Amino acid sequence: MRLIAISLLLAVPALATAADPVDYRKDIKPVLQERCYACHGSLAQKGKLRVDSAANLLKAGAIVPGKPDDSELIIRVSSGNDETRMPPEGHPLKPEQVAKLKAWVEQGAKVPADDAQEPDPRDHWSFRTPVRPATPKSANSIDAFITAKWSEKGLTPVPPADKRVLLRRVYIDLIGLPPTAAQTETFLKDTSPQAYEKVVDQLVASPQYGERWGRHFLDIWRYSDWWGLGAELRNSQRHIWHWRDWVVESFNADLGYDEMIRQMLAADELYPTDPQKLRATGYLARSYFLFNRTSWLDEVTEHVGKGFIGLTFNCAKCHDHKYDPIKQTDFYQFRAIFEPYQVRTDLVPGEPDVMKDGIPRAFDCNLDAKTPFHIRGDERNPDKDRVVNPGVPQFLNPDGLKITPVKLPPLAYRPGARPEIVEGYRKATEAKIVAAKAALATAIADRTKVTKDTPLPEKKDLLQTEGKLIFKDGFAKPNPDLWEVGPGMWKHEKGKLLQQKPGGERSHLRAKTAPPDDFEAKFDFVITGGDPYKSVGVAFDAAADNEVMVYVSGHAGGNKLQITYKNGASFVYPTDGMLNTPIAVNKPIEVLVRVRGPLMNVSLDGKHALAYMLPISRKPGKIDLVTFAASAEFTGFALRELPKEFELVQVGKSVTKPVLTAEVVEANVLAAERTVIAAEAELVAVTARAAADQSASKNDAKAAAQAEKLHAVLAAELALAQADAELKRTAPAAKPAAEQKRKAAETVLTAAKKAAETPGEAYTPLPGALKTMESNLDTTSKTRPFPDTSTGRRTALANWLADAKNPLTARVAVNHLWLRHFGKPLVANVFEFGRRGTAPSHLELLDWLAVELMENKWSFKHIHRLMVTSNVYRLSSSAVGGDANAKLDSENRYLWRQNPIRMESQVVRDSLLHLGGDLDLTRGGPPVLAAAQEASNRRSMYFFHSHNDHNKLLDVFDNANVLDCYRRTESIVPQQALALWNSRLAMAMSVKINDQLHARLADADDTKFVTAAFEVVLGTSPTKDELATCLEALTELRTALEDVKDAGKRARLQVVQALINHNDFVTVR
Amino acid sequence: MFRRDFLGFSGLALAAMLHKDGYASEDAKWSPPDGKPHHAPKAKSVIWLFMNGGVSHMETFDPKPMLTKYAGKSINETPFKDVQNPEKLKLARVTVINDANGQQRNKLYPLQVGFKKYGKSGIEVSDWLPHTGDCIDDIAVIRSMYTTDDNHGAQTQFHTGRHMLDGEFPTLGAWVHYGLGTLNENLPQFVSMGNREYWNLKDGHYLGPAHDAVPMRVDPANPLDYGKPELPVTAAEQKAGFMLSDKLNKLRTAQYPNDPALDARIKAYELAFRMQKSLPEVLDFSKETAETQKLYGIDRPETKAFGQQLLASRRLVERGVRFIQIQHGAGGAGVWDVHGGLKANHTKNCLAVDQPIGGLLKDLKRTGLLKDTIVVFCTEFGRTPGTQGSDGRDHHIYGFSVWMAGGGLKGGIVHGVTDEIGFHAVEDRHYVTDVHATIMQQLGLDSRKLEIPGRKRLDIDHGTPIKEIIA
Repeated sequence: MRLIAISLLLAVPALATAADPVDYRKDIKPVLQERCYACHGSLAQKGKLRVDSAANLLKAGAIVPGKPDDSELIIRVSSGNDETRMPPEGHPLKPEQVAKLKAWVEQGAKVPADDAQEPDPRDHWSFRTPVRPATPKSANSIDAFITAKWSEKGLTPVPPADKRVLLRRVYIDLIGLPPTAAQTETFLKDTSPQAYEKVVDQLVASPQYGERWGRHFLDIWRYSDWWGLGAELRNSQRHIWHWRDWVVESFNADLGYDEMIRQMLAADELYPTDPQKLRATGYLARSYFLFNRTSWLDEVTEHVGKGFIGLTFNCAKCHDHKYDPIKQTDFYQFRAIFEPYQVRTDLVPGEPDVMKDGIPRAFDCNLDAKTPFHIRGDERNPDKDRVVNPGVPQFLNPDGLKITPVKLPPLAYRPGARPEIVEGYRKATEAKIVAAKAALATAIADRTKVTKDTPLPEKKDLLQTEGKLIFKDGFAKPNPDLWEVGPGMWKHEKGKLLQQKPGGERSHLRAKTAPPDDFEAKFDFVITGGDPYKSVGVAFDAAADNEVMVYVSGHAGGNKLQITYKNGASFVYPTDGMLNTPIAVNKPIEVLVRVRGPLMNVSLDGKHALAYMLPISRKPGKIDLVTFAASAEFTGFALRELPKEFELVQVGKSVTKPVLTAEVVEANVLAAERTVIAAEAELVAVTARAAADQSASKNDAKAAAQAEKLHAVLAAELALAQADAELKRTAPAAKPAAEQKRKAAETVLTAAKKAAETPGEAYTPLPGALKTMESNLDTTSKTRPFPDTSTGRRTALANWLADAKNPLTARVAVNHLWLRHFGKPLVANVFEFGRRGTAPSHLELLDWLAVELMENKWSFKHIHRLMVTSNVYRLSSSAVGGDANAKLDSENRYLWRQNPIRMESQVVRDSLLHLGGDLDLTRGGPPVLAAAQEASNRRSMYFFHSHNDHNKLLDVFDNANVLDCYRRTESIVPQQALALWNSRLAMAMSVKINDQLHARLADADDTKFVTAAFEVVLGTSPTKDELATCLEALTELRTALEDVKDAGKRARLQVVQALINHNDFVTVR
Repeated sequence: MFRRDFLGFSGLALAAMLHKDGYASEDAKWSPPDGKPHHAPKAKSVIWLFMNGGVSHMETFDPKPMLTKYAGKSINETPFKDVQNPEKLKLARVTVINDANGQQRNKLYPLQVGFKKYGKSGIEVSDWLPHTGDCIDDIAVIRSMYTTDDNHGAQTQFHTGRHMLDGEFPTLGAWVHYGLGTLNENLPQFVSMGNREYWNLKDGHYLGPAHDAVPMRVDPANPLDYGKPELPVTAAEQKAGFMLSDKLNKLRTAQYPNDPALDARIKAYELAFRMQKSLPEVLDFSKETAETQKLYGIDRPETKAFGQQLLASRRLVERGVRFIQIQHGAGGAGVWDVHGGLKANHTKNCLAVDQPIGGLLKDLKRTGLLKDTIVVFCTEFGRTPGTQGSDGRDHHIYGFSVWMAGGGLKGGIVHGVTDEIGFHAVEDRHYVTDVHATIMQQLGLDSRKLEIPGRKRLDIDHGTPIKEIIA
């Protein structure tokens, strides 16, 4: 062993010799620090060895000065044996590093006098609770600390910013919108000493404040709308926007940050029946990931750590943290806090369909779920013997988390019993009764009109309108005049058209004749195979960027009829354009699609199935027969004009039944009576179930069970009556099928009656929430009752985070605020407050702010006011006159001037719309979907934004990365120029701004115009040179535009657009 | 020649940001790349052809007669049953568990196509790829690739080297863009064409969006997003407006001296203006002869779309664009994702890409560009030796083929071997980042020198150059 080591040393080229003195500080300490300290320093002392000072090395006998060959340190780092070589992980030290170490020992292992071992990690500045430092005397304490550093460093601040510049700065900073000309005017005219403070108060009180600062924190908290494949939810949640609205409202209400943390992490335990507060747990619901629970909880662990306390837990997933006293166990203990939680969607009053609305929220579902300990972080290699208990790192909380399980009130785990939800059910049922009674009246009226001899005139058969035929094809043989064959394997055989490619790609046959605007298309086919979707349908308005498709899918995972439309790049699958309905394979299917304007009707096998209103404006295009992952046989296709008088079924309305004979009307009356009775019984059952849910008493449960079963009987009787009526209506050919149906209804009725004989105590609680699948293999958890207890783990965590003794929470928060007000944070890396991070530029200021936050009810608005009213905030961002400062502090670490900030993407778009007078300030609600964004003037934060779907324009200016965005990127790329020159939005808003300037200034000359344009767009007045340049450009433009009408105004438009493309438009100066 | 940095100053911007984040100050030695290669480069540009969905290696570049011999037999009934030894299957890191894909299929499916020997090297190439076959003496086929994501997250994985569950990482193109300066100040340095599936939408990730590929369309009228005015304006007006904003920005430097963002914006805007003018010219094929257009298959509907993209690629390479990333085939998880109907699918897809690829290689060769340009043909994974359904193949990560040509690489060689049924790569196995490392090596880059503080990469991220295929 020794021999190998020596020979290896001999092989090292003469990189360092005894003659070259080695500098410990430069050549030795950094190498040891990088490669050895993690195991042999203050965090860990493997083999009882510390190498973080020469004294420690000597004490352990790891070095023998002057004798490298006898020094274990040298032997081990130069060992050729993988078993003994140090460091054991990663590549060996480089030969030149080994040579230096050797030379250093040879030269006597000299160290500077101040060589000291690493400090105890627990003494790291950010791991000790902040205390309020003494404040030097000053009007604003922030200035006191800043000024002290200026004097210490010999810096002289630049003058304050111009009033206009300051106003634009504070407007954009606090509400994300620049001031209007009128707002600027008011401010400039206000000569009172409190003029600026007044503006600040107004802005902080404005509802746009919550949107602006809510969006900042939504970056940090990783807001994302849901994404998936088609209708399959894979990440985040539908309706997660409820959480976004909670954030905006909470900021506007100045809810304390401590309380925000408590609600986001544990509202389900702290306020289990308050839907408004439950929205906050969207923070946890957002991390939902269908495919992998480990990834899901890894992300939660990582981002709770980084977001709230600036700790990088994620570094300890595979091994102990290299810099901070976070053990690998701590990572899994932290994860264990979240282990029991899952996601469900609570109903909102009036909407029983969670696909349409509902509040996605966290709840403890699997109370005894075990957290695995993954050896080396490898999910495939769990340590089966290790029990992981919930907890936070010991060095921050030596006493451990005090976890108390929470007994939940019944309304929390039986959310269907919430009075407002019950009321919704009651109202819906009452409406059913009203409708049933009306239908009964109609049925009775029909009966009086019909006798055996005079049936009512037969209404038009749904399948036989009299629209002009455009073309039809029975597919007996190829018809190249009618069709253009697209992708797929299409061929004619035995009088049918076959599509035989069952693969995952879309196949189509395109009609050479495009349909008119309003049309009906009928097609008959059999799905013969394919995998997995088995989809067959028709696409119309088909062109490069738009298309509407109607298809049926025999997908084993869920048969359905679906309408989908494309607007731009991606397809939208609206839930109200979907009908879950059996789609048979190997049986004939007939689909009829009728379209008038945006209204679509789809019939399946002669029965009305779906009415849908397209939310987009239609554009003309081709019509295609389409298959997707399906093989199929087509037997007919007909395209007709839709007759003007033909009445389409409106969305939400039912179809009028066609044939009315005496026998039928009699059966209809009976069925209608049964409908009323069943609905009334349903109301009784709903009321009883609600009462039982709410009281949890045995007697009520009995009553509920009885009422429910009685309703089941009456519902079965109704079904039977309907089957009777159906049978009487049915044409002879279809009678056997109708008979079958009637028989089935009879069987159900018998069973229901039998069940009603012994009602028991078991009843179905009213559904009040739907659980999201735990994984793609989860088929059962959806129907399990919700637990009546919660573990209390997240409450304990939230209380610990929001405790004034926590050294990190308030510091991390004020640092985020500082970053966004001043362009640079006090602690350089906003999510790394551990020892790997850098020390704050102004530690005392940071601590003072942290204490100030905590002692003022964790009020962000209080801190905003302090920051933006400080003198340092009001400094110019220009470096003019600051040459001496630049030499001392080129990075402006000590804020001798303000930092210019590139507007976030949302602010760029919102500002354009705002200056153009077009911004729609509607707040909250469901996000604006991709297809509607181009036409929407809402604030950008309301645009649908997920990992998959993002707005093209916002992306150009560095939109938030939904996975991780502690700080926006501020890139400068040519696409930004292209967007501000060429996008419809930038061009249209330039026109509007130009129009407004002309309207306001009437016959202003160019000088006045240019001055006003500068003031509005850039928030500054032009300099003499800038003005001259603009005037010159205007002259040139006018000459070029000589022949054009309105040349003067058009020339000025280019000035406006040039200003929108000015660096200082996208920059907050 | 190397000018830092077309896509606006991104290295410096990143440096500024890192500094702000406090990483850079810890590593005093760190500075952003200066745009110069780290060692003498053998290649200047890359044309990266990615087949979305997963190409069957056995029916393209790695013929396995044993499949036909044992067709219909379960693998366990053949002499190759050891391939399913669970130890050997451990590679897979499952993201999506379901029955529709990502499963081992046991019943061997016969080869759906014949093979012929091509060129002096006599390398066998599928009958579906005659034009590629004609160029085989310029191609290094690598038959021993493997990856670990058995679903289409492998698309990202092939570009970044990381499994989807690890998070988001920069793609190879982004690293090249980050590391190397531009050769043409009028064009973006890193472009992408074709359809990117949702698994693989962006490139820059932690290097920042400035290192994303610029999406480009082969449409001279509208090649870029926001590449032309969306409302009417005359060119003269717009030019006057642009000149004005340029002058105004420059005047502002008096008020705001030492403002790197302002300087960068002036540069970026000038470049945008040039780009807007240059790209339509690049895409104007009227200067190409009919013979050239035919060479790429632009005269035929089956090959037109891909042919146009490849001819555009040659014109971009000619003008010094560094990295052209083309994704072939959209729809679902990618057009090559042939869970059923393999023969029809691959016949058609091979037809769509083969002649354009052959044309590209021949054209690059005759114009002398091939020696400086690496062409890569790749895909996320191969297909199972066993059949899925009656006539498909499932995803297969344990062995598959890619090829590379030009840029100082050897031609007419086969590197690496899979077992007799194409199941496992058994000799000279290569993870996807070995392809990256080979390209970086040829471009003169040392990926370890590009690492940025706070973003330590693993050895597997860097990969190892495949020295056997380097000339």
